Amino acid sequence: MKPRPLVRELTRLLGPDAVLWRTEDVMLYEYDGLSVTAPPEAVVLPSTTEHVVGIVKLAAREGVPVVARGAGTGLSGGSVAMEGGIVIGFARMKRIIEIDIENLRARVQPGVVNMDLTLAVGDQGCYFAPDPSSQKACTIGGNVAENAGGPHTLAYGVTTNHILGLEVVLPDGEIIHTGARFWDRPGYDLTGFVVGSEGTLGIVTEITARLSRKPEAVKTLLAIYDDVLDAPRTVAAITARRITPAALEMMDGFTLRAVEAAFHAGFPMDSAAVLLIEVEGLRETVEDDADQIEAICQENHAREVRRAKSAEERDLLWRGRKNAFGALGRISPNYYVQDGVIPRTRLPEMLGFIGQVGQKYQLRIGNIFHAGDGNLHPLLMFDARDKDQTVRVTKAAGEIMAKCVEMGGSLTGEHGVGIEKRDLMPLIFSADDLEMMQKLKAVFNPRGTLNPAKLLPTTKMCGEIRVQISTGGVL
Amino acid sequence: MNTAVETMQREFVAIVGASHVVSEPAACSALSVDGKAPQCVVYPASAADVTAVLRCAAELGLAVIPCRNGTKLGTGNPPRRYDVALSLKDMNRVWHYEPDDLTVTVEPGMKFGDFQHFVGRQGLWLPLDPPGGARASLGGIVATNATGPLRLYYGAPRDMVLGMKIATVEGKVVKAGGRVVKNVAGYDIAKLLIGSYGTLGVIVETSFKLFPLPAGRETFVMPTGTLSIARDLRRRILHSPLTPLRMVLLNPSAAELTLAGTPLERPVKEPEIWLEMAGSPRVLERCHGELEGLAKAAGAPLQRLASADAENVWTGISDLQSWLPGRSPGVVILRALLPDAASEELLSRAEQEAENDKALLAGFAQLGVGVLHFCLLSEAATPAVLGLIRRLRGAAESLGGVLIVERCHWDIKDRVDAWGSPGDDFAVMKKVKETWDPKGTLSPGRFLGRA
Repeated sequence: MKPRPLVRELTRLLGPDAVLWRTEDVMLYEYDGLSVTAPPEAVVLPSTTEHVVGIVKLAAREGVPVVARGAGTGLSGGSVAMEGGIVIGFARMKRIIEIDIENLRARVQPGVVNMDLTLAVGDQGCYFAPDPSSQKACTIGGNVAENAGGPHTLAYGVTTNHILGLEVVLPDGEIIHTGARFWDRPGYDLTGFVVGSEGTLGIVTEITARLSRKPEAVKTLLAIYDDVLDAPRTVAAITARRITPAALEMMDGFTLRAVEAAFHAGFPMDSAAVLLIEVEGLRETVEDDADQIEAICQENHAREVRRAKSAEERDLLWRGRKNAFGALGRISPNYYVQDGVIPRTRLPEMLGFIGQVGQKYQLRIGNIFHAGDGNLHPLLMFDARDKDQTVRVTKAAGEIMAKCVEMGGSLTGEHGVGIEKRDLMPLIFSADDLEMMQKLKAVFNPRGTLNPAKLLPTTKMCGEIRVQISTGGVL
Repeated sequence: MNTAVETMQREFVAIVGASHVVSEPAACSALSVDGKAPQCVVYPASAADVTAVLRCAAELGLAVIPCRNGTKLGTGNPPRRYDVALSLKDMNRVWHYEPDDLTVTVEPGMKFGDFQHFVGRQGLWLPLDPPGGARASLGGIVATNATGPLRLYYGAPRDMVLGMKIATVEGKVVKAGGRVVKNVAGYDIAKLLIGSYGTLGVIVETSFKLFPLPAGRETFVMPTGTLSIARDLRRRILHSPLTPLRMVLLNPSAAELTLAGTPLERPVKEPEIWLEMAGSPRVLERCHGELEGLAKAAGAPLQRLASADAENVWTGISDLQSWLPGRSPGVVILRALLPDAASEELLSRAEQEAENDKALLAGFAQLGVGVLHFCLLSEAATPAVLGLIRRLRGAAESLGGVLIVERCHWDIKDRVDAWGSPGDDFAVMKKVKETWDPKGTLSPGRFLGRA
């Protein structure tokens, strides 16, 4: 097999150890957490912004698509090279450039793993607040592209609330610096517009992030229920009582049995649902909040409310939650995870609806919710080898999504649109809305060569909801 | 009256009705910007009205400035053209309110004070203390991303807006975001509008995330002797487990001015840190104890204030723009933005620069946020003020920040850019502007780079 001219040019630019082109090498980059696969022509591993500029300029000259990729943990297909071309892997741009504790700032390259930033500033009492479940693997560049969330975004906001500035390489190779080391630099908030743009506006090569201070005290509660609907009722009651926990997560019995079998985190095998609730702040605040929350759980018929007695117990509970997708992967050949959002007062109704959909289509559905902010992750179990099951999952997922929209919600809370939901966009956005998005995209990416076929619908949709089914990520 | 003006009025009357188009000189000059008064004020009653007015204005080649009470109209470069004031006064409905979801959707003309009162009944609030205070409109707050010292704990409108609808000069209504608290579907168009100062489109509806009102609040004051003691205290407080809602450093002139006319009026000789803590009585006791310890270590006394007295002072600090020009008509208000750790250093340099010019400078630093307001109080001749503004901008820039001229006489604005120099992303910003507003209908010349 001989490298093609494009590969030869890339090799000249970056050196042979930074370009992958053989079928068996690029195969590893043809997928992410979504099932759709598409092999890139070449994968490049730049070490500097200048490398990225060179790659992008070459691609522009050749009219070849460019797709940025962090760790490939995305769940909506954001890093899959749908139209081939060059995948830029950021594995070598993983330097923490600067840490400025007094200003609570960090400057990082996009390939820095989310958890590594938190670990780097941990002994100075700080952390990086966005905490997607994949945080041990996913990169901050990927978090920026997808505007990633996580359990603790309930109190602290998603990625966009923690990003001050970006260095961005535009598709013509121009480098721009958006935002600043402080908030509100005069001008349009291009930083806020680029965060969550799923790699379709520019290639982010440096990120100025805000750090947060670790709270003095943390309490983690586990509320255990015999009736699954009592869990979302508790969530609604906590919100209605004006308490904002740092995290408020729900897992149903089906899910937590799978988690318990895999991780022995101490979740009760016989319960119908649990809430994992965390409160943070001053010792006194945390005690008060924990007492109030415990009382609300009891009022809503919790069988038992446990408090983590040590950091180890807390970590174990969170390990169970954060690895729940993986645990479900043990019991089903495939699963499809959704990411809809609804008003949190409607969680009980939604949970009932998901149960009905499961019965109607004869599917096992596990429910893991970032319940506090109404972000649902129903997991639909199936076997992709079984055509009939796959069809049923598609229909069931479509019904759940339609229900989210009907309730005034959103298609995606944190996983992004990508390939997966691009053709569902007309469910929540009008032709005028989408036209404006298209025009603004063209400001940055006029020829559409950056991450093509993502985020915006490819066809006019005519009523039927078709979701792209994932065969299960490796979270 | 010339024909062009007649045509314009006739067109607007056809859209919103005769009672919603006003051309009396008094009404027009009340909404004048930097010495320019509009030809007429149009009061749309709905999003459909706004789109029709914008489309019509664009077709006629007119310049429109959206506004409500005009609390922030002084900020920005002088308009290149100004024909129509689009007052959103009549658009103040609540479209959707779900207290238990902590979400609300409102029109832009609602006054911030009315809104806080409305959601306050369910124990909620939008935790902002913007310039303009209760008189500011929600639309204006969002369009300018207006914040005060509360930003320290709660963030900015940027962090609280869930979605919006925007009327475009093309005559369309574009939706951005949604009504739920977490949403990454599509481009985050709302971010472009937040802080765009009415230059891209007109916000006709905004959905906000609301917050529970704190159980109790208390204000503490620490006279700090010198700015270096102030810096030391700021570090200790922000590095302690305490989480103040807001924290400001006032130089003596600023403190004295703010306290004048309140029950707390007194002469002030040294910089003071004011901070507000929140929580249950038990939490507030703990805060008191901790602050006492920190103050003692720094050799600063600590004073605890009754909440009603303190509230007035906080309003004064966050809304300088409302009362200061009344007391000091020629006042120039500058806002510096910079990495927070350099706040005291910039304040110190600014005081020095002012002293060199024999000018009186009141300095308000929002600690932990990196925002400083400098108010130049003495009535100096324009060239001297210009020189001082330029030197203060130089000082802010040398510390890694920027300086915005928020309020000054328009003959100064002609000679110093209100926003400072744009960066290497300005070409993209200009294209963003052209995408929304190809004919320069909205607030032409007012924003960054006189775009």
